[in-house]
Amino acid sequence: MSGALWFLVGTLALWAGWIAVARAALLGVQLAMAYDPERRAGRAKGAWLALAVGAALLAIAQGLPIDPGRPVPEAPVRIPLVWVLMPFTAWLALASLAMVVVRIIHAVSALSPQEARQKLGAAAVWLAVGIGSFWLFRRSGDEAVVFRGVLPLSYVGAFALAVLFVATAALMVVTARSHRLRGLGKGVATHTALVLGSVLFGIPFVWLLVTSFKESRDMVSADGIRWVPRVWVTVPYDDPIDPLFEVRLDDGRVVQANIAEKLPNGRVILEVYRPFSQQGLRVERSMDEIRRIPKDCQVVTATLEGRKVKAFIAQNLMDGRQRLRVLEPKELEGREFLAQPSETEPYMVTGLRWQNYSDALQFLPPEANYGLTYLKNTLILVAMGLLGTLLSSALVAYGFARLRWPGKGPLFTVMLSTMMLPGAVTLLPSFLIFRSLGWIDTLYPMWVPAFFASAFNVFLLRQFFLNIPMELEDAAKIDGCSYLRTFWQVMLPQVKPALAVIAIWTFMGAWNNFMGPLIYVSSPENMPIAYAVQLFQSDRGGEPGLIMAFATMAMLPVLLVFFLAQKYFIEGVQLTGLGGR
Amino acid sequence: MRRGTRFLALLPLLLLSGLALADGRQTVTVWGMSLGPDSQGLQDVIREFERRNPEYRVRILSMGAGGMNPQKLMTAIVGKVPPDVIFQDRFSISDWASRGAFRPLDDLIERDKGRDPLTPRPEQYYPAFWQEACYGGKVYGIPASADTRALYWNKKVFRENAAELRAAGLDPNRPPRTWSETLAYSKVLTKFNKDGSLRQAGFIPNFGNSWLYLYAFQMNASFLSPDGRTCTLYTPEAEEALQFMVDGYKLLGGYEQAQKFQSTFQSGENDPFIVGKIAMKIDGDWIIPWMALYAPKLDFATAPPPVPDDRFHHRGRFRNEKDTFISWAGGFAYAIPVGAKNVEGGWRFIKFVTSTEGRLIDMQGQNSLERKRGRTYMPRVSAQIEAGRLGFERFKPSDPRWANTIKLHIDLASVSRIRPATFVAQVLWDEHVRAVENAASGRMTPKEALLAGQRVVQQALDEELGKERFPVIDLRLPAAIGAGGFLLGCALLVAAYRRQRLGRLARHEAWAAYLFVSPWVVGFVVFTLGPMLASLFFSFTQYGVLTEARWVGVKNFVDLFTLDKQNILKSFANVLYLGGIGVPLGLATGLAVALLLNSAVRGMRYYRTMFYMPAIVPGVASVVLWMWILNADPNRGLINFVWARTISEWFGTQPPGWLTVEAWAKPSLILMGLWGAGSGMILWLAGLKGIPSTLYEAAAIDGANPRQQFWAVTLPQLSPIVFFNTVMGFIGALQQFEGVYIITGGNGTGPGDSLLMPVYHLFNNGFKYFKMGYASALAWVIFAIILVLTGIQFLLARKWVHYEAGR
Repeated sequence: MSGALWFLVGTLALWAGWIAVARAALLGVQLAMAYDPERRAGRAKGAWLALAVGAALLAIAQGLPIDPGRPVPEAPVRIPLVWVLMPFTAWLALASLAMVVVRIIHAVSALSPQEARQKLGAAAVWLAVGIGSFWLFRRSGDEAVVFRGVLPLSYVGAFALAVLFVATAALMVVTARSHRLRGLGKGVATHTALVLGSVLFGIPFVWLLVTSFKESRDMVSADGIRWVPRVWVTVPYDDPIDPLFEVRLDDGRVVQANIAEKLPNGRVILEVYRPFSQQGLRVERSMDEIRRIPKDCQVVTATLEGRKVKAFIAQNLMDGRQRLRVLEPKELEGREFLAQPSETEPYMVTGLRWQNYSDALQFLPPEANYGLTYLKNTLILVAMGLLGTLLSSALVAYGFARLRWPGKGPLFTVMLSTMMLPGAVTLLPSFLIFRSLGWIDTLYPMWVPAFFASAFNVFLLRQFFLNIPMELEDAAKIDGCSYLRTFWQVMLPQVKPALAVIAIWTFMGAWNNFMGPLIYVSSPENMPIAYAVQLFQSDRGGEPGLIMAFATMAMLPVLLVFFLAQKYFIEGVQLTGLGGR
Repeated sequence: MRRGTRFLALLPLLLLSGLALADGRQTVTVWGMSLGPDSQGLQDVIREFERRNPEYRVRILSMGAGGMNPQKLMTAIVGKVPPDVIFQDRFSISDWASRGAFRPLDDLIERDKGRDPLTPRPEQYYPAFWQEACYGGKVYGIPASADTRALYWNKKVFRENAAELRAAGLDPNRPPRTWSETLAYSKVLTKFNKDGSLRQAGFIPNFGNSWLYLYAFQMNASFLSPDGRTCTLYTPEAEEALQFMVDGYKLLGGYEQAQKFQSTFQSGENDPFIVGKIAMKIDGDWIIPWMALYAPKLDFATAPPPVPDDRFHHRGRFRNEKDTFISWAGGFAYAIPVGAKNVEGGWRFIKFVTSTEGRLIDMQGQNSLERKRGRTYMPRVSAQIEAGRLGFERFKPSDPRWANTIKLHIDLASVSRIRPATFVAQVLWDEHVRAVENAASGRMTPKEALLAGQRVVQQALDEELGKERFPVIDLRLPAAIGAGGFLLGCALLVAAYRRQRLGRLARHEAWAAYLFVSPWVVGFVVFTLGPMLASLFFSFTQYGVLTEARWVGVKNFVDLFTLDKQNILKSFANVLYLGGIGVPLGLATGLAVALLLNSAVRGMRYYRTMFYMPAIVPGVASVVLWMWILNADPNRGLINFVWARTISEWFGTQPPGWLTVEAWAKPSLILMGLWGAGSGMILWLAGLKGIPSTLYEAAAIDGANPRQQFWAVTLPQLSPIVFFNTVMGFIGALQQFEGVYIITGGNGTGPGDSLLMPVYHLFNNGFKYFKMGYASALAWVIFAIILVLTGIQFLLARKWVHYEAGR
């Protein structure tokens, strides 16, 4: 422990020393550029002080044993780093202690005894907090760990870092001299921070896309993450030995299949090759019911008679070997030979593997109809949810905002208070209600309630309705409009922005609804996308390419809507004060 | 005459079937199996079944990985849309049967006995496996497979370390046979890296598929008293077994170290056993085909799992024991859920698929598929003795390595023990897993860990056994009271309305208004008020929906704070962690971005889009994405890739295990949340724009520098937003569900319960076990906590939230 402690103190001293020296240098430059004698004197004093402190700290650091306690990578310049890992309670105790010191200093330097008493009181409170959290820390039995680190740098790296540091400092000094330049400097700094931030926020998206386009063999490699996707090149080939056929199944689906067996009566038994969900399924057909199609063969490099050749895999044989057909060089083109997979190397070029997307859809159960069923279900949820929410919320909000009726006040209070009620309370009885209606494993439980207005939307719309001038309604009334007609033709157009915001939220909620389908839906025919993504992730856990492709497809429509209606999204957040998550 | 009546009885069935499907065939829906490229055998069985029974069409649905999610099945059964047949893990059948979810099959067996040669007979099966599918003297499932466990040892690794093994007095040409030998071999075969992490493990006690069950069975421990009323998870025997596991982990540098090592394991050709990262493991026979595929030349052998030294030498308490070696097995069985639409079709399918004939068709199909793919077929152990024997004779692989392995697994079937058939099977399983984790990680001693688990299981047992003392109540009674109260309320309202004495116009307007607000009123009564009252009522009952409700008074609430205290406290502690650290971090991130954006004049729209985009990504997709970004393997996970090349290099530490380790699971969740901090940013931005510039000007005149301006002007002006978001953030943390469900896949509660959240706990109780009463009580507690939290925050808010005067 003591080694770690010395390391901690030494490293802090070293860093503080260098910072002090840097400050001295900065002040020195300012001193050289300042004209005002009074200011010059101040600068000079500050610079000497900083230099003295820095030198003292560096000397102390030099004298302390800064030992990382482990073999460190060889490098010309090694900068010590330190990182203290302790539980939250320990940090709190430390911070409280610092606050106690600060308050006591304040108290000592206070102007009036009353103020001093006040500061001392605050110090006592902090002391209590500190002791309490220290006690909690000791009780938890956790330990504070000092991680001793070393940042290895080459001479070039160290030099570059120093140059960057000096340049920044110089820039700061220069820009500080003129108001215009100061604005510019600030702008540069802000934009740099923003660009860095947006890159940080954007990296997961980039990673998602890159992964969704990668071959599964490129997902892991010892040299880390491959950022530029490669694809395994394929060529179409109509193989006379092992042909591929297009076959129509009994349910009308068209699949690709190989011949598994030839029957004596001239018919054949075919085994489905794609889609994956049907792979291995066998059907019997006559030869004129099926159509021969070329198959996509993967290109590899291999050695034939001592020469490097480019060939494609025409067939995977029963014994694990592969039948290869040469593409290049020209004089060997068309030659076929057998090879073990270990003797060949896949021929990959930079490119996107779009196939992950089609494969992901093909892996879905047959009922999902390549994911179209999921899309259909989600669209039903979205459409019905939108219709129900907008219609019912607007009607109810109008009733609460513009009409006078007995019981309005109490009912409105009741409605507001339901906003506090967490969904968890009504979750189980709602299930029983839908069960008694026979609605389990249907989509009804997820959209029918939308037709009964939610308190939040009603509240929002009511605020908008209240702001519409009375004259408009009166005019309609004089024209002999019914309440419904007034509502529909006069009032509703006035609250369009609010409706748009509610529509956006409803769309997002319906598209992302996960708990609903998790509870209510069990057959693939009724499954919406959000739940399908989770099932796909747990089904195909080992294939990130497919999962990322599927996730991309699931979020693409939402992102599209976002780009088209960004204004309403942002208005929505500002209007409701809710983050949307 | 009799014939006529029988025909008449069939008539409605025929009519129904005609309605059911256009092609006149009835559907038999089977859940829990998957049809795909690997299941030629199942295809063939189904085809043959459909050929013999042309009136049926079989529809197979896998419903997620690894068989069936119990919550899904339970919800379907309770929701009256169950499948006709379920392929179910056998050990949980008693659990399901006790809850009235499965249908006893005795009447069907009795009816067809002697009439149909395919009817299953108990004597065809290994007694233990048949017994496992029975509960309370009734048959609930017909066993299919059995998966005995054996010791796999990598001969090559043993050879490479022959000198060291010999030096330690061990024979490198044979595997360990006893526990002490296992530890001795493991000690020699375990190698560490320079930084203390594992490079190669000799034997990880709980890797592969052994669990505490195996070692406890070898000690003759049983986790339940013979009458099934007392849990005996803790016995000196079980403690000894657990101590063996703990010792095994100590050799490896501790449980965490082993977990971390395991998190780097890959599959396929890079499987840790195949590449020699672990020298020995205990595993079931399902891995054989898979090993043959990825490591056809692997130099390995199998042996019976090592047993306690005393058992091996037949001394001490094992003096009179006949069997030297003991293994354990589980497996699957076919069952019919209660309420299945097509019992007859389901039963016929079960009879066919479990018969010797059906099993052989399955094996034949699988055999031909594998041969066509150029692979060797590996017959599996069958719970049915004859099918297993014939299958092995006909389809055994020619290579003696594989044939011997399969033979060993089949031979172990007769000395295999099973987990006790009890309705608390799942709880017992969960708790025994937790006990192993607690003991191995050193949080508790083996005895404490077992006793803690035992308490939970005993509670579940007592709950079920003791429920008789609570009176059954007819749910129609409260429903009638509720309806009566509702009508009374309506009447009162009508009376109140009458008393208003409105004019004609006002009455007209009032009636129009009632029509306008009627959607909400109806919705409120049906979807809010009704369920709320029902939930309140249920919280005082014990109600499993399929079983009758019993009035238990405040027992559920008492249980929350006594028996289930640990889970409840843990879940709220987790909320506190997320709310206390995650919420402020999220707010700060949003504010930082907003401050930057507020001062940047150009490109505002572009930046805003960039920062806001993550916030609108669908939650499910976002969690799935982050699960891969946070993958612990530095060659796969984005963050650990960077970490391993920077922080690990500088500090000489390993990158964290993120979602796989207790300490990092919640920080992972927070990190995911921070990605979505963009929505908060928009809010801050609006708030910043609303601060009058005169305030800043005044501050500047007073000589305040930008930092002082931020603390004195910006923050107080924004305090209403801070306050609102803190409240909402805490409520959001309290209701966190989606993230933890997806991360855990709906199974378990994360490492060390680190992802146990109140609503997730409620969901599990409610929809996995259908403990309506308990879950309702929990819901009300959550509600109360939300109210209290919000109240406290409102009180505190008076001190620091700044509201503009006159607003």
